[in-house]
Amino acid sequence: MFNTQRQHPVAALARSFEIIRANFFTILILLFVGNLGNEGSFTLYWIFGAFIILLIWGIISWLRFTFSADEGELKIEQGVFVHKKIYLTADRIQVIDISAGLIQRIFGLVAVEVKTAGSGSKQAKIDALSREEAERLKNLLRSNGDEVKSESKQESLSELYTLDTKDLLTAASTSGRMGVALSIVGGAFSQLDQVVSEERMIQFIQTHMPHSTSASLIVSGILVAIIIAWLFAFLSTLIKYYDFSVEVREDDLLITKGLFERKQLTIPFNRIQAVQIKEGLLRQPLGYASLVIESAGYGENEGNSNTLFPLIRKDRLNSFIEKVIPEYDVETNHRLQINRLGLRRYLLQMVWISLPLIALIWWAVPYGVFSWFILIPMLLLGYQQYRDAEVRSDDSTLVMTARLLSKTTAIIQKYRIQSAQVKQNPFQSRLDLADIIIHVASGNQGRSFKVRELTEEEAIDIKEWTAWNGTPIQKVHKDRLEE
Amino acid sequence: MRSKPENKLSSAAIKAWRLTTCIFCLLIGFIPFLFWIYNVVSPGEGNFSIWMIATLGFLIVVIAGLFITYLPEVRWQHWYYQVDKHEIDLQNGIFIITRTLVPVKRVQHVDTRQGPILRNYGLADVTISTAATTHRIPALDEETAEQVRNQISRFARLAKEDV
Repeated sequence: MFNTQRQHPVAALARSFEIIRANFFTILILLFVGNLGNEGSFTLYWIFGAFIILLIWGIISWLRFTFSADEGELKIEQGVFVHKKIYLTADRIQVIDISAGLIQRIFGLVAVEVKTAGSGSKQAKIDALSREEAERLKNLLRSNGDEVKSESKQESLSELYTLDTKDLLTAASTSGRMGVALSIVGGAFSQLDQVVSEERMIQFIQTHMPHSTSASLIVSGILVAIIIAWLFAFLSTLIKYYDFSVEVREDDLLITKGLFERKQLTIPFNRIQAVQIKEGLLRQPLGYASLVIESAGYGENEGNSNTLFPLIRKDRLNSFIEKVIPEYDVETNHRLQINRLGLRRYLLQMVWISLPLIALIWWAVPYGVFSWFILIPMLLLGYQQYRDAEVRSDDSTLVMTARLLSKTTAIIQKYRIQSAQVKQNPFQSRLDLADIIIHVASGNQGRSFKVRELTEEEAIDIKEWTAWNGTPIQKVHKDRLEE
Repeated sequence: MRSKPENKLSSAAIKAWRLTTCIFCLLIGFIPFLFWIYNVVSPGEGNFSIWMIATLGFLIVVIAGLFITYLPEVRWQHWYYQVDKHEIDLQNGIFIITRTLVPVKRVQHVDTRQGPILRNYGLADVTISTAATTHRIPALDEETAEQVRNQISRFARLAKEDV
């Protein structure tokens, strides 16, 4: 039991830093704009003043924030101008997330975030607590009040999986986040002339690379951008998954990760909504995949996905799933693949996507004619998408595989499916093809899984199957006719 | 697609949608009007050509006319729904046909909504929320809407499960 109390005072500091971090880019832009007028010292006053105001705001909101926990209910009262009372009952809580940011770690504290399902508004987050208190709060909310019993039980049964250094390095160097990093690097490059004048750049190029042509410059520029992006992706993955471990307990999973910000997530088994196996473009050839679980929690706009294991060899995948999340270890007896008519549409889609890109490059870049070669990998990708797409099922589970760039296999329990959709556009209806989309709860918007270009009949069978209890897909059609 | 869901929306929906489209088109129609006002208020440089404004206005009137006369009816013809104790089955879409199935036991809550236009025609929308998605059956008779809402909520209560 927790009496009504305040957080640790460090919460005030943590809150102000969180606001700074959330507005990091805005602040950067303001700094740049502010410096244009050559009044550096003036901007400095502004920054200093803003920081003081944030700190005062942090202190006030710390003063107004109280929480208590009793009989499986967490009560939080907060708000400076608008008073808010959040009451969360333990059996509705989906995820308890303990993390330690930089500031928390300096003072040896942690932040606790509590998420429930459904359409709530804000997250319930306690910014600063000692670790023991956080653990106590967690156990209190996990076990509906009876603290002692569950603690001893959990310790006896827990099992630990960690990511060793070699796997961590492999995960970092093959991380699929390069695309995101690439766009950031590209953006930074386009802003380069703000910092360095064009003449200087030309001068630099002439002195250091006297024999370069514009073509070789473009190629080397692209190479440099890719390398920088890769480094970013490498480092960010390393920081994110440093010292990763999954602890399997009786009722829940405890995931711990992170270098600067230690994150600890508790996910009860009965709150897991779906499991995804992701095989990235770089990882698949090496025989690696990552495991992601969806759980229902609110506060995020995007779904609430949590990495269950960042990198695992494909041959060990099944035994891992069997041990850790046995419910999702399925033998499927019914398998659907895309037929030839679908192939046509998969390939055509790739052509439609590439054409504007090719046209743009052809028009804008010297040697742009060569952009026609983009079509080859795109068509290969389309073919691979067609090969990979499939739907498998047994009586109670659906396995959907599809590829955009990386191959994603979603394992979904029938009783977790929120709704099913069959979608057909005019081109598809001419060929009697349709897409199937399955929604599961995750975050407050849910997540959807889609397999394209099934035949209409198959898609409808799957859709009907989701509403029937314990019927294999092949039987659905027959049963429906008999009724 | 195969056998459609049984029920259609109320036929008054067409009128209500016509009115909504009408209001929307009026708002769009303001754009050339604003250009014209600008011309009158600040004569001289930077004016919009009167022909451009006229063409734009004409186009908007023609497209709006088509939209108002045909679109609501076509849309109405392509809307089907069906509710039974296992599932809610919806089909809509003119070009892209979407068939949605919501297992009733997944429904979190149902509500009916009514704006001033719908109320004028005695209609209401039914909104069905699950933990992941929100679905809408638009423009039913008030009475039907209430019936559908109560029916779904009754069925949903019968099978109460975890999220």
